[in-house]
Amino acid sequence: MTRTKLWMIAYRGLTRNRRRTFFTMLAVALGLALLITLNGYISGVMEDGLQNSIRLQTGHVQVRAAGYPDGKHSVQWKDLIERPEEIAAQAMAMPEVRAAAPILWLDAVLSTGEESVGLQVYGIDVNSPLHDPLRASVIAGAFLEATDRSGVLMGGRLAQSLNLKVGDTVPLVTINANGEPVEAPFVIRGLFSSGVLVYDESVLFMPLARAQSFALTGNRASAVMIELHRREDADKVAVALAQPGLQTFTWRDLNAFILQSMDAAFSFYILMDAIVIMIVAVIIANTLLMAVFERVREIGILAALGMKRLEILLMVLYEAAIIALAGVVVGIALGLLGVFFLTQNGFVLGEMATTAGNLPISNVVYARFAPDLFTWLAVWTFLIALLASLYPAWFAARLEPVRALHTE
Amino acid sequence: MPIIELFDIHKTYRIGEVETRALDGVSLNFEPGEFSAIVGPSGSGKTTLLQIMGCLDRPDRGIVKLDDRDVTRLNADQRAELRRNVIGFIFQFFALIPVLDAYENVELPLLLAGVGARERRERTLEMLEAVGLSDRIHHRPNQLSGGQQQRVAIARALVKRPLVVLADEPTANLDTANGEQAMEIMQRLNEQTGTAFIFATHDPRVMKFARRTIHLVDGRVAENHAPVPVEAAVRSLSHPGEPRA
Repeated sequence: MTRTKLWMIAYRGLTRNRRRTFFTMLAVALGLALLITLNGYISGVMEDGLQNSIRLQTGHVQVRAAGYPDGKHSVQWKDLIERPEEIAAQAMAMPEVRAAAPILWLDAVLSTGEESVGLQVYGIDVNSPLHDPLRASVIAGAFLEATDRSGVLMGGRLAQSLNLKVGDTVPLVTINANGEPVEAPFVIRGLFSSGVLVYDESVLFMPLARAQSFALTGNRASAVMIELHRREDADKVAVALAQPGLQTFTWRDLNAFILQSMDAAFSFYILMDAIVIMIVAVIIANTLLMAVFERVREIGILAALGMKRLEILLMVLYEAAIIALAGVVVGIALGLLGVFFLTQNGFVLGEMATTAGNLPISNVVYARFAPDLFTWLAVWTFLIALLASLYPAWFAARLEPVRALHTE
Repeated sequence: MPIIELFDIHKTYRIGEVETRALDGVSLNFEPGEFSAIVGPSGSGKTTLLQIMGCLDRPDRGIVKLDDRDVTRLNADQRAELRRNVIGFIFQFFALIPVLDAYENVELPLLLAGVGARERRERTLEMLEAVGLSDRIHHRPNQLSGGQQQRVAIARALVKRPLVVLADEPTANLDTANGEQAMEIMQRLNEQTGTAFIFATHDPRVMKFARRTIHLVDGRVAENHAPVPVEAAVRSLSHPGEPRA
């Protein structure tokens, strides 16, 4: 029998109970739409966290002195890079590099008289395009000047919690290169809002030269931070900048924990995806089984006319395929619509964003189009739906024609 | 040579603890071009016999030969192959596929048999014309009367030019006029095509048309009237007073 005719009989079979067929197709469509939207959003959250970490903390490539300790800050000369400007210039000469600049990290304590908070102080080259996003995130006052000897840029959220404003003077204490505590007053020149609440609460910026003089590091820096046009070039740039006495890191090395967390989270979401797909599959199997029960006699007629078991099996599978395909197409459309909505409007996490541990998530997170992931979901939804319809199809194919014909 | 040979056919149905003997040693032959009726009261085994002849069911014991081939031990697909190529069925409740129109219902056996598109169309239209339904080809079963539905079923049974058409109570759900019309059509097609027709019935209207009647009682052949040549049968229909056999 021609496959075309089997498809036609399968299609006609579905049209006899249009409402049931429609709702089954809708169940597939909504299930897949939910998965696509959810995965688009989760993908957006993960990518946002990674991008924020790269943008605000790690850059795409870092060059540090070979002895710089892992996981903590040090301002001892042996741990710092001696001529960071030369390395930055060498990096800037590479076409893959968008920006490169030295940075000095200090641990500091800020006291207001009422309370003290531990902070990370970033001494930055304020003229580098590396810090354009920070410049754009100033919400009050002004950005820093390279020659400013007392100005700092503070997170708006930290200033609010400490009751501080632009123009206020705050004392900072740090341990200098000699291991001695030093204290100096600084004036809040401006407030920033990076969109990452954790970051806005714990980081303070000052010009690199002032940070170096505050910590007595000379012209040394903790690292040279490099931003690339394409993050895929990180390995190439890191290799090019490698030299004795230095160690280079790519964004993958520097965000290993975040990437591991993302993998773990994706594993969890794959489990959730599997559960939703299974539910959809059970709905399809149930519908088809009902449809088979309803027309046992008709299947008996087809068998009496000479339709073979394989053809009956295929006929039911084709019905499943039509429902699943229609559901997948509608589901993709609805899902993409959902993802599009969330790419435009985002989802305000607010305080929830601060509970994401080491993942610097923005307080408004947008979904992301992830074509590979969406294709994977659509294909699996279709395949699992077909797999689930094997039982009803097998049931139909195994019907004895003589018994089926006498079923009312 | 007979087209169907039955040797000592036995069939017992078991429903729970209860055993019902449907056929008890039936042996019969059917020749090409026959127009015969298997008659008997309800439960006499007529439908079971028809189903065994049509490869829809298997006997518990005995041998069924179809066109000189032993079909008793064939598997499900081999029996389906025979049903699709050499046996036509007509059922009491018409048994049309409700989602297909008259044309598609008649075309279905040809599709199953793998007949090419052009020949399929010609033969389908020819059969629908032969049963007087050329103007109803795109009507679905629920848009046709009972008589028209049975005519579609007759066309569907004959379209593949089978050796034999097995009809189970073909007039049971038809009024007198439609029943007569259906029988006349089948008789005409039997004469024109040479396809054998075997009916299972207790309807006197069918018996009146049959050229041979086999009486089944309690699963056994009680009477087996000799076949009447086609010419004699036609004459007896034209002159009902003459003895038939």
